[in-house]
Amino acid sequence: MKVLTPSALHAWLNALARDRLLIAPKEEAGVLLYRRVGNADEIAFTGKDPQRPVTPIKQAFFPPTERLLLIERLPADEPGGSRRIRLSESLPEGEQILFGVRPCDARGVRVLDAAFLEKEPADPYYQRRRQGSTLIGLACPEMGPTCFCKSVGGGPDDASDVDLMLFETENGFAVQPVTEKGRALLDGAELTETEGEPPRSALTDPIPVPDRLAWPPHFQDSFWEQMAERCLSCRLCAYICPTCRCFDVRDEALPAEDGRELYERIRCWDSCAGEPYRRIAGGHNPRAGKGQRLRNRFFCKFHYFPEQYGHQACTGCGRCIDLCPVNIDITEVLSHLVVG
Amino acid sequence: MSHTASIQAKARELLETGAVACVIGYEIGPRGRARPVFVESPEGASRLVWNQACTHNLAAYLPARLRPGKKGEPARPVGVVVKACDSRAINVLLAENQFAREQVHVIGVVCPGVLEGAGQRSIPDEASPGEGPLQARCLRCAERTPVVSDTLIGEPFAAPPATLEEDPLDRLSGLGAEERLAYWLEQFDRCLRCYACRQACPMCNCPTCLFERDDSTWLGMGIGLSEKRAFHLGRAYHLAGRCVGCNECERACPMNIPISHLNRMLAREIETAFGYRAGLAPVPGPLVTVLDRGEGRP
Amino acid sequence: MAEQASSNPMLPFLGRLVEVRDLAAEIKLFGVEMQNGGSEAFAGHRPGQFAFVSVFGKGEAPFGIASIPGRPSPGQEGGRVLEFAVNRLGSVTTGLHELGAGDYVGVRGPMGNSFPMQDFVGKNLIVLGGGIGGAPLRPVIHSVLDRRADYGHFSILWAARHPSLLVFTDEYDDWRSAPDTDLHLTVDEPDATWDHNIGLITNLLARVAPSPENAVTITCGPPIMIYFVEKMLAEMGFAPEQCYVTLEARMHCGIGKCGRCNLGGKLVCVDGPVFTMAEVGALLESYL
Repeated sequence: MKVLTPSALHAWLNALARDRLLIAPKEEAGVLLYRRVGNADEIAFTGKDPQRPVTPIKQAFFPPTERLLLIERLPADEPGGSRRIRLSESLPEGEQILFGVRPCDARGVRVLDAAFLEKEPADPYYQRRRQGSTLIGLACPEMGPTCFCKSVGGGPDDASDVDLMLFETENGFAVQPVTEKGRALLDGAELTETEGEPPRSALTDPIPVPDRLAWPPHFQDSFWEQMAERCLSCRLCAYICPTCRCFDVRDEALPAEDGRELYERIRCWDSCAGEPYRRIAGGHNPRAGKGQRLRNRFFCKFHYFPEQYGHQACTGCGRCIDLCPVNIDITEVLSHLVVG
Repeated sequence: MSHTASIQAKARELLETGAVACVIGYEIGPRGRARPVFVESPEGASRLVWNQACTHNLAAYLPARLRPGKKGEPARPVGVVVKACDSRAINVLLAENQFAREQVHVIGVVCPGVLEGAGQRSIPDEASPGEGPLQARCLRCAERTPVVSDTLIGEPFAAPPATLEEDPLDRLSGLGAEERLAYWLEQFDRCLRCYACRQACPMCNCPTCLFERDDSTWLGMGIGLSEKRAFHLGRAYHLAGRCVGCNECERACPMNIPISHLNRMLAREIETAFGYRAGLAPVPGPLVTVLDRGEGRP
Repeated sequence: MAEQASSNPMLPFLGRLVEVRDLAAEIKLFGVEMQNGGSEAFAGHRPGQFAFVSVFGKGEAPFGIASIPGRPSPGQEGGRVLEFAVNRLGSVTTGLHELGAGDYVGVRGPMGNSFPMQDFVGKNLIVLGGGIGGAPLRPVIHSVLDRRADYGHFSILWAARHPSLLVFTDEYDDWRSAPDTDLHLTVDEPDATWDHNIGLITNLLARVAPSPENAVTITCGPPIMIYFVEKMLAEMGFAPEQCYVTLEARMHCGIGKCGRCNLGGKLVCVDGPVFTMAEVGALLESYL
């Protein structure tokens, strides 16, 4: 196997950061986050417990807020005339290297790819960012206490969704290129040929995950209302989820001069757990109940999404389990479906 | 009898007699973590527990639960398990007419303090409370006994608040205005606008939040720094004279934003100016609505 | 949106309002003349499709297209004008109501599937519209009336809460006078001059009692109306495959990405808005 020694790894990353946007896990106020880094010293290479950053890598392709259009209302040509409109797209540009992406997050990108790109028309904003990105994965030596990636098709050392995979070894990081893009990234890296294979990760016992077809009979279960009673209807679980991708669109005013009006059309993350998610103008809300909303969250991940795209929209990262303020536990939902 | 047994017995009685429709308390959820539970039958009372991981402020569930029905019919009474801090929230909610006193049966528990990491770590039973330090707010707590209760569980005891070596408020107050702003902007920058803080807060019960991105005509929808700053500072002001210091906002935050510093700073100002602490006693109305000539205590 | 495949589906075409008129209380009809590429994109839109209309500075919202290509609106030539009936409810619709002829709006679309008019040929049609829900049904009515001989008996059951909320009143005489066509009107709260039926559309449906034999029903209205109409149609012996509905839901993209409009595993924007009860019957309860 080929290995990057710690010093070779630093040199390689520093070179990458010099001429490209490098995003990597970084600790800020005790929280591990994917952040832009200027050099390798800023990177948290080995997260403790949990190993993954608090927010998933999705923000690199689907930022919390992004401008879709810039809208100008120009003054009328003649008094009393109509104001002309000028529209311009705000498509993102540039390249980015995402370092230290854990396999669960990388698998989340597979879900986002399906949702944003698979069916026509592709989302051009997501597409641009995705095409301009190279993913460098980092295997987790072992699964954390809330991780269940292995039970939803992934694994702590699964390299299928990255361009290049790194594995922690005794004398550095073993390197496994996956795509051409990943191989090309290694140009100029100082690789040491070492005996042996990249280490396999330690696994925890799998949890039972019900089949997609097991869900519909449970749609009317009282379980949803009971479980959701404690739900705070915040949007935390969706925002820290590597696969949640719902958004909201609105126009907002920007400062402008010369009798012009300037607006931006933005889109922002949203969550189906929030009360206004389905509320329509006039006030009617078909998902006014917390139970209905949480049910949608779980049906989306394990029934609706698989129905449409053929795979689950959960990567078993365990973030929602760790962070829900009232301990709504996705594995408890899954076991309800299995046990009944 | 353990606190757990006492809570279970009381809940069973309240549900058997029909005095309440539901008891909101704590249970041990998956992974041994304490979490809120809503018990609606006498048989369900055996789920209830008490231990030093019972950190959630269950008073936060009361306003929605006790709101009148669609046809104006009053909601049936509810029993609720509270610690001293949570009980102060009930006083504030009563002062703000969120529900009537007779709509709640308050099961107060004398509280030895809640452990750091409670809610997120496994503390399965009362007998083995687990290791580790108390939450800082519990170390500072001067009232271990709920200030309002219909049933009191545990023997009241005096526990003078610990003097902590360093209070971050003092450090922050010592900074210049620009440095302090820079500090806060750095904190707010991490915010996701997920509203976990607001949703966990017993006082954040406005039917439409001024800062709700879906409805607000005051604040943009973006998850950007200016919106986050307006939200956090605005929320802090709206909690002035109302925040009881349960710290659920900060605990719920996935991004370690020290929200409690803002709330405690305002609480400190209000105590200095008016000699008032939110929820300590039943009061006729919220502090900010009391306009007595001397602006003295309400 | 194949016409637009290479461009940005979130970028609207510009359209100019050529007509704004009151249709009912708080409901206006907007005629939009598409600019540049828009007229080609919308040249072949089909009954049941919808579009996002932008009020620049306020945002955009989806509306069923209330017109069909090739049928000139009164006073408009060439049939290149798209019509939308809009109820003033939220900030976008309020913004739209404040605009007048000559103002620019944005339009994205046409979006969604459509009523399979070809499959309706030779069948008896029963159209049930409630309030503003009548708007996306008008293209069906116009299509049938324009090729009247292609279809069997045509019943239109048209309802509103109050007479002032009935839409397209100026067209009722045309509808009634078409061969083998009947129009039944009902309101919940009549005024002094009202001389048609009184009560919910389900009462009217019970009275008209259409036969399921060789028939198709097409329904649009508030969710609760759709729910009870479909329930009654089922009781009357209509098979789920015979019952078409067009649904609305909160949505923000119209291209199957934003996730808002799901009804079970279906997305109203791309899998709908037209469904048969065979597709969504079991899900309708969660639509209420």
